[in-house]
Amino acid sequence: MVYITSWDEFVERTVQLFRADPESTRYCMKYRHCDGKLVLKVTDNKECLKFKTDQAQEAKKMEKLNNIFFTLMARGPDVDMSEITGKEQIEAQPAKKGRGRKQ
Amino acid sequence: MVLLQPDPFLNELKSMFERSTETGSVWVTLKRSSLKSKVQRNKMKTAGQTIEYRCLIRATDGKKTISTSVGAKDHQRFQASYATILKAHMTALKKRERKDRKKAAEDKKDSGSKKPKRV
Repeated sequence: MVYITSWDEFVERTVQLFRADPESTRYCMKYRHCDGKLVLKVTDNKECLKFKTDQAQEAKKMEKLNNIFFTLMARGPDVDMSEITGKEQIEAQPAKKGRGRKQ
Repeated sequence: MVLLQPDPFLNELKSMFERSTETGSVWVTLKRSSLKSKVQRNKMKTAGQTIEYRCLIRATDGKKTISTSVGAKDHQRFQASYATILKAHMTALKKRERKDRKKAAEDKKDSGSKKPKRV
């Protein structure tokens, strides 16, 4: 399977994959310190989606994906995703105001 | 495979990261699981019981495998400490290359004062 290059595409497709078959989809992360490489993989044993990076920036994004998957897996695939993203929005909103949008 | 409580698991994960700085990799896998065998699940299904699923977390450095599981109630605390560990140990990743960014910005007739808006 080829690596997906776009992060947003990776997130969208992995979540879709999980929703389609929650019981056999796993999310795997490999970190190699000596090479400074991070590989993320999501597969349901039929389809395999991978993402590779060496950027610290992407690791931050991965944290969000981790949260999505923890929530989806612990609470079930039917959980309302806006619940996860909603919290971020609340956090993001006051910051936005601070950034000079003068009401 | 050792099924640990979340906190010992995190401690062990930490030392796995520390052990693999010179050579080797660390794998962490998340999976939705009922922690029961298929036979058990089928029995429960026919008995009309609801199957409780948890998030199973497995980690290995190629030599040792550890695992733990978190449920709907405790996953948030776990994922926060997990994120902290990752942040503390994924230090070999490259920081954003500022030089190139500046250059590109200058090329666009935009002097270096431009700050990246998104963090």
